[in-house]
Amino acid sequence: MNTLRGTQLWFARSIMATGSDPASADEREAAHRLTAGPRLSSPERLDIYRRAYHARLLECLSDDYPALQHAVGAAAFEELCRSFIARHPSEGPNLNFFGRRLAAFCRDEGPFEPATRSFAADLASLEWAIVEAIHAASGEPMTLERLRDLPAEAWAAAKLVPNTSLRLLRLDHPVNAYFQAFKDGRDAAIPSAGPSATAVYRSGYTVWRMDLTVPMFDVLLALLDGEALGAALGRADRALAELDAADAAQRVTHWFREWVSSGLFAGVIEANREG
Amino acid sequence: MANRFSLPNLGVGLGLRTVHYAHILEYRPAVDWFEVLSENYMQTAGRPLQYLEAIAERYPVVMHGVSLSIGSTDPLDRGYLAELRGLRDRVGALWVSDHLCWTGVGGKNTHDLLPLPYTDEALRHVVDRVRAVQDFLGAPLALENPSTYVEYTGSTMKEWEFVARLAEEADCALLLDVNNVFVSSRNHGHDPHEYLAAVPFDRVVQIHVAGHTDHGTHIIDSHIGPVAEEVWRLLGDAYARAGGVSVLLEWDADIPSFAETHAEALRAREYIGKSA
Repeated sequence: MNTLRGTQLWFARSIMATGSDPASADEREAAHRLTAGPRLSSPERLDIYRRAYHARLLECLSDDYPALQHAVGAAAFEELCRSFIARHPSEGPNLNFFGRRLAAFCRDEGPFEPATRSFAADLASLEWAIVEAIHAASGEPMTLERLRDLPAEAWAAAKLVPNTSLRLLRLDHPVNAYFQAFKDGRDAAIPSAGPSATAVYRSGYTVWRMDLTVPMFDVLLALLDGEALGAALGRADRALAELDAADAAQRVTHWFREWVSSGLFAGVIEANREG
Repeated sequence: MANRFSLPNLGVGLGLRTVHYAHILEYRPAVDWFEVLSENYMQTAGRPLQYLEAIAERYPVVMHGVSLSIGSTDPLDRGYLAELRGLRDRVGALWVSDHLCWTGVGGKNTHDLLPLPYTDEALRHVVDRVRAVQDFLGAPLALENPSTYVEYTGSTMKEWEFVARLAEEADCALLLDVNNVFVSSRNHGHDPHEYLAAVPFDRVVQIHVAGHTDHGTHIIDSHIGPVAEEVWRLLGDAYARAGGVSVLLEWDADIPSFAETHAEALRAREYIGKSA
């Protein structure tokens, strides 16, 4: 079959093939279908496209996962990416979301030692949350005044509207600290396992990362899931049961002030009206 | 000779790149126009779109795509086209262009600009699809001649003949990339002036220039570095044949400061005369 479709199917299959060198059968087919150039044979000419295909997708993943590339090293990162590209070739017109499955791929099939695999998956999760925050809509944030203006009787049933770019991560490694060290150009060893929680969100042109304690994470997650303020505050009280009531209230007030002033919320919905 | 689509000569523009966003918004440099990569602002509701809208408020903007895949034998992606049209209308882009190529088949996208065999079968196929796209967009589509590294044994005409017949039969516009003309001509042993002589210049609405990388055995259209002297001279030739047309510099890797990039673009004026 040498129709246009047959030609395209052969060409795509040839350049998307894995491995460092084309198979001899491909070379014979290339010589049959393609002309030789002034200085290159037809298989050598085809190989330009094969290299470009892998290089382009590798570059895309490098752009999205610079800290992961730094952490595991260029060679291991390339091996990871080549496996990923073979398993998940792009099926859309856009590369913005090509790397969305890399964290899961690291966890399930990453070519790393088990300890590194778990860390790599966590770090990839953080870096992908940043990509998602970049591409998510982000409107005007809710002000502290808006929250203060909420009538006392409306507090318990009111629900906060999260910033649509907000992503919450609860991970098994302190990857945000590692990521910050990477951003600062500081050497950092791959950290030992240990629970961490981070909020990632965008305000204006800037993507922010905020470390969270486990109680903070639980309350924020509940609010994101649409829990009313009263129930979320009850959740916070229970999480801070070891503190006396005044200290707990002060701490929760501080949380909300920080979250709102940081732009984590876009508005508040009262039980009978929206605003 | 103005182009038959009455699209304006915007002067000498620059390809908009992420690393220059902040500089452009802070200093508002005097740039004639920007070409934006369509897909960078599709399937996103976030920061890229914010930047583009802020820049499109201040500068003329044209959209240039890499994923239309006009030559693919897969069906046209109507969702992609709808988003493309929506973005054009949202930012007021003056026209939309893409490449004479295919980027994927069988549902897989290589994200590369792959060459077509230049046959009557391919010509009929692409003409039909260009007409469909233009109907959908309600405007002429400008197609760019690709840089290529292979030619098919089955081709029955030269690229420039294919381009000219396509433009006439599909009634579309052309984006003439003179760097691509140079790159492909060197890679295949053609004469770039023979290529230019065959171009229907009344359909050329825009010219691209860019740097390339010479590997000795072949040249890659890398969009790195300054424009080669031979390419500048092809620009002068093409510009004169077109009778004045929008010119744009693409610089996509190892991108220098905005000032340096813009200065390289403005070198075009040395080759196209004072009319730009």
